Amino acid sequence: MSTPLIILIVFIILLVLMYNSLVAKKNQVDNIFASIDTQLKKRYDLIPNLVASVSKYMEYEKETLEKVTKLRTQANKTNLSEDEKIALDAQVTSALGSIMIAVENYPELKANENVVHLQHTLSEVEAQIAAARRAYNQAVTDYNNALEQIPTNFIANAMGYTHKQVFEIPQEERKNVDVKKLFES
Amino acid sequence: MKTVSELTDFYYKKLYPILQDLEKDRKVINSKLITRCGITTFIAIILAVIFQKNHFQTDSFIFLGVIYIIAIAIIYKMLIMDYTKKFKDHIMRPLIYAIDKNLSYNPNSHVSSSHFREAQLFQGKADRVLGNDLVKGKINDVSIEFSDLTVQQITGENDNGDKNYKTIFQGLYIVSEFNKNFHGRTKVLPDTAQKIFGDYLGHILQDTTYTAEKLVKMDSIAFEKEFVVYSNDQIEARYILTPTMMEKILELKKRAKHPVSIAFINKNIHIAIEYNKDLFEPSVFHSLLEYKIAMEYIQTLHLAIGVIEELQLNQKLWSKL
Repeated sequence: MSTPLIILIVFIILLVLMYNSLVAKKNQVDNIFASIDTQLKKRYDLIPNLVASVSKYMEYEKETLEKVTKLRTQANKTNLSEDEKIALDAQVTSALGSIMIAVENYPELKANENVVHLQHTLSEVEAQIAAARRAYNQAVTDYNNALEQIPTNFIANAMGYTHKQVFEIPQEERKNVDVKKLFES
Repeated sequence: MKTVSELTDFYYKKLYPILQDLEKDRKVINSKLITRCGITTFIAIILAVIFQKNHFQTDSFIFLGVIYIIAIAIIYKMLIMDYTKKFKDHIMRPLIYAIDKNLSYNPNSHVSSSHFREAQLFQGKADRVLGNDLVKGKINDVSIEFSDLTVQQITGENDNGDKNYKTIFQGLYIVSEFNKNFHGRTKVLPDTAQKIFGDYLGHILQDTTYTAEKLVKMDSIAFEKEFVVYSNDQIEARYILTPTMMEKILELKKRAKHPVSIAFINKNIHIAIEYNKDLFEPSVFHSLLEYKIAMEYIQTLHLAIGVIEELQLNQKLWSKL
């Protein structure tokens, strides 16, 4: 076999390997996003029940409750992009967080079995979402790195791959859900 | 749970009469050991001289050497047998009960070999699993068991048909119920590749060297420096290894002062700490009253039983209640 032919074959093999690794990275991002989507949906499903249970008591948080319900309606639209879902998730997380804090101010709610159960279910879903977000961010980082690093960046360019957005992990989430605190409440 | 200093107090105050008693036994054992080993050595030398004079072959000398080593080992074992039993019954058992009354202690049993095999934390086949000092029970409603464990793999056979063994793990093996539901398998192993080759090359190596599970890059720099994580579920690995859990594992590693490997499998957490020696055995050549010796027993027990509190395994999630 002539030298140029060997070089060409090696070059093609390298090209295929790089192409495959890029596709694998993109698929990994998509797969994990699908899991996040499932978890987010689980959380959105809890919202109507939560709002119904607490709205009787929560006079001062009416606005937040309405906001959460509105966000849920928005999230249920089918044609949302990944970036829009990420943005919505951030808003829902913060709104739900403030409702949960507000619950602490209502002794009737703290004693309500349904609310306590909802609170625990929500905290478990939040823990799952937090894990999925971290997994997604790592997958996106690997993907984005491949988009910038030589030589995969040339192929990525040719394939029309673009950068993806990572989830912003709220500071309180880094500290993780404090289950013990929940049990004391 | 009692603190290490409370346990040290208990050791030196409550157990003091027994310790003194054991110290007397130890001194007697030591002097007997010197005499008996001396006599055995003397006989061995005389035999060697006789062999030499009669022009025996090299094989005979090797045979004599092997017999000599076996004889010394038997003498040692026989002499410390009662002493060991007394130590385990009157020091180890009260010490364990002082930490938690609900725990049971069996000096002659060990964590089941199936636990070790299912975790697959160490490379090599677990052909022989030895161990003792099994502690078992429930603390704060969380099941835990741990013991001393030595796991060996057969490497071959010699001419006489005797098997040769290579030790793949020796140390403390802890199995406890985990406080979260999970379905996959996640392993946390000591990191060597990243330490030697740096982040970039290290990650590439880790990614390619392990096949059963995929590499999970964690988002804690300190944790990534000490450990490498493999799992068959990227999300579940992070569900288990929350930022808090990673911090706790780092603290555990710092306290253990030995390599720590962890597996999350079948609802349990397995923690293997490589001490590379037989634990919870009575010291023969140093006094049990020595602070350093006492601390070895106390700290190891405290670390093992304290795992539940340290890793907050008692804070169960709603769905596990």
